[in-house]
Amino acid sequence: MSRFGFRLEPRSNLPKWLPWAVPVGSFLAALLVGAIVLFATGQNALSVYGRILDRAFLSEGAFTGTLISATPLLFTGLCAAVAFRIGFFNIGGEGQFVMGAIFGSGIALKLGADAPGILSVSAMVIFGAIGGGLWGLIPGILKAKFRTNEIITSLMLNYVAIVIATYLIFDSNSFWRELTGSGVVFPKGKILPTGSWWPNLDFGSIIVPFGFVLGMVIAGWLYVLQRKTRFGFEMRVVGGAPTTARYAGMKPARIVVAVAALSGALAGLGGAADIGNFRHVLDPKGLQQSGFGYAGIVVAALARLNPVAVVFVAVLLGGITNAGYALRGPDFPSGLVGVLQGLILFCTLGGEVLARYRITRSGRTPVGASVLEAS
Amino acid sequence: MSINDNLFVIIMASAIFYGTPLVFASLGELLAERSGVLNLGVEGMMLLGAVAAAWVSTNVGGPAIVVLPLAIVAAMIAAGLGASIHAFLTITLRVNQIISGLALTIFAGAAGLSSYLAGIWQLGQTPVKQQFGKIDVFGLTDVPVVGPILFHQTLLTYLSWVLVIAASFYLFRTRAGLHLRAVGESPQTADSVGISVSRYRYFHVIFGGSFAGIAGACFSLMIVPTWVDGMTAGQGWIALALVIFGFWRPDLTLLGAYLFGALSSLGLTLQARGIHISTALLTALPYVMTIVVLVVVSNTASRRQLGAPAALGKPYEREER
Amino acid sequence: MKAATAPAVAAFHVTKKFPGVIANEDVTFDVRVGEVHALLGENGAGKTTLSNILTGLYRPDEGWMEVAGIAVDFQSPRDAIAAGIGMVHQHFRLIPTFSVAENIALGTGHDPVGGRFDLKKIEERVAEISESFDLPVDPRAKIWQLSVGEQQRVEIIKVLYRDARVLIFDEPTAVLSPLESERLGVTLQTMARSGRSIVFISHKLGEVASIADRVTVLRHGRSVETTSENDVSALASLMVGRDVESVTRSAHAIVESSSRVGSVVLEIEELHAVGDRGLKALDGVSLTVRSGEIVGVAGVAGNGQRELVEILAGLRRKGSGSIRVDGESLENGSTRHPIRLGVSYVPQDRMGTGLAPDLTIAENMALKNFRRPPFARPPFIRQSVIDAQGRDLMEQFDVRAPSETTPTRRLSGGNVQKVLLAREMSGDPRVLVIASPSQGLDVGAVATVHQLLIDAAESGVGVLLVSEDLDEVLALSNRIAVMYEGRILDTFDRADADAQRIGLLMGGQLDVSA
Repeated sequence: MSRFGFRLEPRSNLPKWLPWAVPVGSFLAALLVGAIVLFATGQNALSVYGRILDRAFLSEGAFTGTLISATPLLFTGLCAAVAFRIGFFNIGGEGQFVMGAIFGSGIALKLGADAPGILSVSAMVIFGAIGGGLWGLIPGILKAKFRTNEIITSLMLNYVAIVIATYLIFDSNSFWRELTGSGVVFPKGKILPTGSWWPNLDFGSIIVPFGFVLGMVIAGWLYVLQRKTRFGFEMRVVGGAPTTARYAGMKPARIVVAVAALSGALAGLGGAADIGNFRHVLDPKGLQQSGFGYAGIVVAALARLNPVAVVFVAVLLGGITNAGYALRGPDFPSGLVGVLQGLILFCTLGGEVLARYRITRSGRTPVGASVLEAS
Repeated sequence: MSINDNLFVIIMASAIFYGTPLVFASLGELLAERSGVLNLGVEGMMLLGAVAAAWVSTNVGGPAIVVLPLAIVAAMIAAGLGASIHAFLTITLRVNQIISGLALTIFAGAAGLSSYLAGIWQLGQTPVKQQFGKIDVFGLTDVPVVGPILFHQTLLTYLSWVLVIAASFYLFRTRAGLHLRAVGESPQTADSVGISVSRYRYFHVIFGGSFAGIAGACFSLMIVPTWVDGMTAGQGWIALALVIFGFWRPDLTLLGAYLFGALSSLGLTLQARGIHISTALLTALPYVMTIVVLVVVSNTASRRQLGAPAALGKPYEREER
Repeated sequence: MKAATAPAVAAFHVTKKFPGVIANEDVTFDVRVGEVHALLGENGAGKTTLSNILTGLYRPDEGWMEVAGIAVDFQSPRDAIAAGIGMVHQHFRLIPTFSVAENIALGTGHDPVGGRFDLKKIEERVAEISESFDLPVDPRAKIWQLSVGEQQRVEIIKVLYRDARVLIFDEPTAVLSPLESERLGVTLQTMARSGRSIVFISHKLGEVASIADRVTVLRHGRSVETTSENDVSALASLMVGRDVESVTRSAHAIVESSSRVGSVVLEIEELHAVGDRGLKALDGVSLTVRSGEIVGVAGVAGNGQRELVEILAGLRRKGSGSIRVDGESLENGSTRHPIRLGVSYVPQDRMGTGLAPDLTIAENMALKNFRRPPFARPPFIRQSVIDAQGRDLMEQFDVRAPSETTPTRRLSGGNVQKVLLAREMSGDPRVLVIASPSQGLDVGAVATVHQLLIDAAESGVGVLLVSEDLDEVLALSNRIAVMYEGRILDTFDRADADAQRIGLLMGGQLDVSA
């Protein structure tokens, strides 16, 4: 047999602590591999990790910064988690995020400086969700109606969304663009009226952005929706067995469309939160560079698509991202954030499988799946 | 000469020029997908190739005829290594191909390993030392119309043509190509006649990935030509669309790549001529077109006839009992 | 046959264990050159495991094999092919978009690096084989254009193309009409006479008796006897043994006593429909089922049975015609309406259509009633009530699993079928539509499932049983309808059922009016 002839054999007894041990172990393994990369390229891994830890969680005000970085990841993570759970591979979180930012900033600008803060902020929440939801609806409807593969359509729409944002700021005299002062020469967006800036909630030593609190509440709501409601029950059936769902009187196409819209709305909320809490301006370049949509898929995968776990993973990855920003400079390796995120994901994906299966050489007597699984 | 100084010729020539990296990247993805493995890591692999090629061109001394091939090989190895991670995870460990491919792009891409390495190697401050310039083939550059379009391109473009022809021959005229298509259509069937599914998949994912490396090198050695963080600017995703656009056939994929190349260079070309048109909206056109094509061909029956590998995206596991 | 010649292939004292089950135990058997040797046994008797050992897919835990008198140890199917052993699978291993010749050439030979392969030559060779063994097929046709019978011929040529000396056929007649089966029998004997050896795996007594030179009977994984007996009833008792209660007999007794047939619950009139490829699938089907009776639909797969049951379940839209349940007309293409009218459906594809494999047993049992109280308090579901129902039904239907929260994907085929029947019977249905209820189940589970169907009828449900297994239909049904090319050719009362006539009808060999 070839040297590629490996096969997986399920392990028979899976211990109860496995669901916890896999992510933790994978995370540590990723740090180890990351350290090897750092070491191999002449960096002191310990000191780099120490600085990340410090700037992510320990030093003065670091945790607030981490929560600000975690907020968009939390929303795009929920966006991916909800959609992937029903087998709808929405990788358009990026574009839905941008549309949420466009809609959210649009309504805040429209309401203007005179509107009461509570009105502006609520309107941004709603319009952000609508913007993202509409963008998410497109691949959803195409999938439900024409069975078009959502992976590529949602991906393409990411670019269309960025193009729209770019057009609004750089290529037109749109409502979003600053047309006075330096904005005449250097295209940029209008700054949102301060009344529409999202509040930060003060919990003693930690300041928590409103967007993060909103995200946590929504994560809890999603958990209940998925585990405790009829709609959630249907989602679980549609995710694993669409034909069965139809046979049991459900309408999979309708559920796919609803979840696509929900998923998009979550990312759109993230876009609104990012502008409300942090940027206060529609900034296409910044949106494009941050890549929150893709990172959200990492978050969802690490959280094993569990909305509550998404909160914790978002804080963890938000910490790394935040430290990456804070430490940016000649003595901190650029690109390390992506390397670490990628490694964590690789290790989790691999670790999950290795914990459940043994790899053996094939050509030996296959023992076969357990008899319980034979059908 | 003046006959070649018209809009059509310029757009066609730049379509081929800017479409060249897309040809490499989509051809590589096509090979991987023909074996049944979807690899969303194209963007990441391209950047790995771009950074490796830039390093060789900047730091290795010697004549261009030595350095440039070396740079291409380095780009292929770098991207191939990236692809091998995806191959191991999806083929041996049967991990979800979508997530693994995205992980590869995040790991290697714009804010990942490629920019990490570029930082360590201090690339990007100056243009690369050796680059691929346009060459005059058989002195035919000045032939009306076809001269600038077909006979005044870089060696990389001509290499891409050779690869497209070779890939078409391989896929449809050789036994290995038949086996490859069988693995992508029905791994069970291939396995039952003694074709090693995992060997075919490993080979084509990694080899296909190395093509993405060449695509990256097109940017750092030909189009830009220096290192810029995230310089591929999402072209890796377009390559994915092109494979569908070209119905999993190398020749059609090449045409698609040039169409995209034309659209993305059209805005600049027109602006240079004083015709004002929103570049932003023009660049959105390829993406929208891809969606439209996808919708048109999304009926399962037509997809199969058009060549979509039936087992694409599905891990293969030998049935036991 | 020369007695001195070593057998073409032989297995000695072969044992193969899977966790929790012994699939083969001390099996010894040999195939002579030029004979058709049948492996006879019920579902789950170990026939498939043995053939997988012979073709190198599994390695035996104990025992050894010889090819032409020389000991062999196959590491992979490739080794078996090299040793001249080829298998014609029950489920064809063909690629629909490839041509016949391309499928046959797959995995064979090597060309020089960079060389093109000569499809012409392959096509010629295929035509040659096709001619000499009377297996007509066009080498250039694409597989998807071929009928099932033609596809099987491609599979056979594929094995012959590889110069196999030993050909193993796994239930080859399962997909064929009686006439096609007969023709295959002739082909098998032709091949044997040309000096090849044929292993013929089947559980159909009649075929085995008429085609095979010798028969090895497998029971519970053991080789019981090798005989040249060709008396059907003698083979039957060898196959079934005395320790297993005869399903046929028990069913017979109960159906006889089932005289409480009541009013019409399902009435199908002039039903027309098209299939997946847009071709006519149902061509005026009329059928009635009364409460308390089992109506069996016999027929070779692909004659419209799947379309019929899917329309009844609402999974497929009908063309013209009417379906009434207790007099009420069924809405077209709604899956909820049949559920509301009391139509239960146990599909052939149990895991893919009947169950959500990742959900628990209890959740799967609540799949059709989770919307209503007491299982829901809208918009919420009540997990505790769902789990309690699961526990009850598991006990009532004897589902063997660690608990009601076990995901159904971990269940064996028999338990899967019991979960489905539990759910479908629990809502007091009027009609139970069930497709291929015993396919892939072991003998014990088949008996249980059959008993459950009889119980269902006894309790007043009208059962529509669709099965390709004629024996099963004959054993269970009060009335038998024969389906061919989208039409019901004839309907028999149990007492007048004539197996031979039914067989001919299944093959489309009798005029309806005859």
